[in-house]
Amino acid sequence: MSGAKRIGLTIDGLKVEAAEGASILLAAGEAGIAIPNFCYHPGLEVEGSCRMCLVEIEGLPKLELACSTIARDGLVVRTSTERVREARRDVLEFLLAEHPLDCPICDKAGECRLQDYYDLHGRRDGRMAEPRERREKKIPIGRGLLLDRERCVLCTRCVRFLKQVTKTGELGVFERAVRSEIGIFDGAPVDNEYSGNLVDICPVGAITSGDFRFKTRAWFLTREPSICPHCGRGCAVVVESVKGYPLANGERRVYRVTAGENPAVNGHWICDLGREGRRDIDEERHGVVLRQGAPAQGLAWPKALAEIAAAIRSVPGAERAAGVAVILNAGLTCEELALAKSLFVTALGLEKIFFAGRKPGQADSLLLAAERMPNDRGVLEAGFTPRLPTLDELAAARVLLVFGPYLLDHFEPDPVARALAAVPSKYLFSAHAGPLDRLVDAVLPVTVTAEKSGTYINIAGTRQSFGRALAPAAGVVPESTILVCLANSLGLNLGDIDAR
Amino acid sequence: MSETGVPLLPVDEGSWRLERYLRQGGYETARKVLVTMAPAAVVAEVRKASVRGRGGAGFPAGMKWGFVPQGGDEPKYLCVNADEGEPGTFKDRLILLRAPHLLIEGMLITAFAVGIRTAFVYVRGEYGPMARRLEEAIAEARAAGYVGPRLFGTEFGLEIVVHRGAGAYICGEETALLESLEGRRGQPRVKPPFPAAVGLFRSPTVINNVETIAAVPQILARGADWFLGRGLPKDGGTRLYCVSGAVRRPGTYELPVGTPLREIIEVHAGGPAEGRSVKAVIPGGLSAPLLLPGEIDVAMDVDSLAKAGSMLGSAGIVVIPDGTPMLDVLLTTARFYAHESCGKCTPCRIGTSWILKIVERLKSEGGGPADLDLILDLADGIKGRTLCPLGEAAALPIRALVLKFRGELERAVAR
Repeated sequence: MSGAKRIGLTIDGLKVEAAEGASILLAAGEAGIAIPNFCYHPGLEVEGSCRMCLVEIEGLPKLELACSTIARDGLVVRTSTERVREARRDVLEFLLAEHPLDCPICDKAGECRLQDYYDLHGRRDGRMAEPRERREKKIPIGRGLLLDRERCVLCTRCVRFLKQVTKTGELGVFERAVRSEIGIFDGAPVDNEYSGNLVDICPVGAITSGDFRFKTRAWFLTREPSICPHCGRGCAVVVESVKGYPLANGERRVYRVTAGENPAVNGHWICDLGREGRRDIDEERHGVVLRQGAPAQGLAWPKALAEIAAAIRSVPGAERAAGVAVILNAGLTCEELALAKSLFVTALGLEKIFFAGRKPGQADSLLLAAERMPNDRGVLEAGFTPRLPTLDELAAARVLLVFGPYLLDHFEPDPVARALAAVPSKYLFSAHAGPLDRLVDAVLPVTVTAEKSGTYINIAGTRQSFGRALAPAAGVVPESTILVCLANSLGLNLGDIDAR
Repeated sequence: MSETGVPLLPVDEGSWRLERYLRQGGYETARKVLVTMAPAAVVAEVRKASVRGRGGAGFPAGMKWGFVPQGGDEPKYLCVNADEGEPGTFKDRLILLRAPHLLIEGMLITAFAVGIRTAFVYVRGEYGPMARRLEEAIAEARAAGYVGPRLFGTEFGLEIVVHRGAGAYICGEETALLESLEGRRGQPRVKPPFPAAVGLFRSPTVINNVETIAAVPQILARGADWFLGRGLPKDGGTRLYCVSGAVRRPGTYELPVGTPLREIIEVHAGGPAEGRSVKAVIPGGLSAPLLLPGEIDVAMDVDSLAKAGSMLGSAGIVVIPDGTPMLDVLLTTARFYAHESCGKCTPCRIGTSWILKIVERLKSEGGGPADLDLILDLADGIKGRTLCPLGEAAALPIRALVLKFRGELERAVAR
């Protein structure tokens, strides 16, 4: 906000400052005064249709919209007078009159604006004695999304999102008056890579996700921020999980990944690839150390690390630089990369340090970057020159440490198997099960991004630190721990080594 | 329906022809204006004439034109609102059918005054013959050099496009009209910005009613003072009053602004038939709260009707005769707004439907005073809370009906 002119106004007796051009709703929000709204969304153009944000402005006879009225110097706004409260009560009464009140079976219950606002501002006595409109309640609209027209409050956030953000326009409003309803056009369902945002922005339970539907209740979920690791954009995400992992068979730990808000990176949206990342956190995960692809009884990771340290030590000092090879990846945090540099480059003096990650894909015009690893810039900043190894270089190693399962993204399985067969000692640090597991001496289970804290630098050079969104299962450790403990086993203290 | 009265121009079956219009001095005012006047002077003259919008809102046209930013490269547009959908109103229809060249001449002068080169006429979907007539007239004018580029040897030119609506009352609301004209769903926009600044295709736009534009040539021909002299100091000229319902001579009457409602009904329209009497009068189209027989000694101008708790609106006068069940009037009214609500904003979408459901139940099953109280409450919940004036237009007449005929309604619903 540097340089932007600030203006001053009074909201509910409070002297409030706001950026020039900001709406009353935004100005109030900045001052901690919440004005209820359905159709307003900071990432979309103002619609002004739900009429929930009406406020009193001194000198104006009618209530005005807080979402569309620009805050001006000296304006005196009141958001909690009897007139305003009555307007809110009336709008909510109208909305509820045509609402099915199926909260007990609605996914949105617990995080529903209609529910929350009614609780705060609504009237207690129901006066609707007439038959409600009956509408279709589970219309597949594409991409696993389901539309419930009875719950819809017609805020048109979904329609506007698809018009203004993805510019795909799959949803429209059909019919008129109380018969108005959201729908797809004939034979053209929602089909774009940002479809999951429709569920996030629906203020009620009208658009739900097939992936989340009836799986849990919103109030069981713990919401923690993290960074999406599925491309180089580094979108803010919210990891929504339940505590008590491991769970009974078939139950989930992470129920969904939703869009976090970060104006500097992703605004309010994330792509479906990132949202699908919830599977990546929970599915096909390693939980214990594997030996030749099978769970190793009684071999905990510290013991496995001691074995790795011994293997490294077995390579005579003079041959170590060329004999011990390491494959890192750009999913490691800046902190982990710095540790890796200290350990492998500075302390051990290794020359064979390679990188392998997911192959680049197609960038789109919104958020998804071609780079499919989250920290390519961090790798460069740590001073590495990332390079994929050749299979000959792999085969030449006496000890090989592989971080991440990505070798097979670049080479066919058979040649990799032959190359690895030539390596006397080889170890894999991976979060997910994969075909590489059987080709190494042991696999040590490591964390995914959501289970660790650290820093990524995105493709635009934005440095973003994030905290741990959920605890890893017992026996699953972050690479940082692996690196520090490996150094300890080798009798090295990384704290004494200047990573730079 | 007869069209007797005091017409500004002789209007009959053949009056729409260019040749007839020219014989009466048609397009001479436009020629004078374009050749000899500065645009700002035209705006000033129209502003001085206090010609208030004839579509319903009553906003002074000259002032509206003055809001359009001048200079700049962006195009500006003129939209003529011919989406005459207000129940009880049929005056624009008359102009389109009988005096289309008067409208075209008005458009030339308006466009010249505001610096506009493209004009649209948005004609109500149901008005097929009127749209065709207007197109014929435009073709005549184009052939004779009154529409098109370089008019009257000047640099000024105007293209006119006739656009047909698809039958939605809401498209008479100016921003919904713009949305519809742009090819989108006809729903109102949030104001501000007002069309004068951000209108059709996001460009500055003047939107005026057919009758308003048709009043422009006479102002420039005879001057603002003459025009004011025909009406009131703050509400100039004559208006086309449409009288329908229980009168002997229903029709469209051109009379000075401020003519007493009683005079229009009893003298000009001949009053109710022998042995019948007036039970209530809707003075300005269905959206105007109705008046009781004792309330019709009111001058038909914007301010006087507002003072009387109603509105001049489109000046569509509906005379309701004795014996009319007011529950039926309420049902018809509620049904119209519930049907025509565009559905965009919450109070209008659900409020009008809820009220209709109650009235339908009262009609079929009966009810009690609490139902009438709820209708009033719901109307209050719509009034002043909606995105566009349709909410007000629905709430006010329904409130007036219930308040003024409460006794009758209570008796009618008691079973």
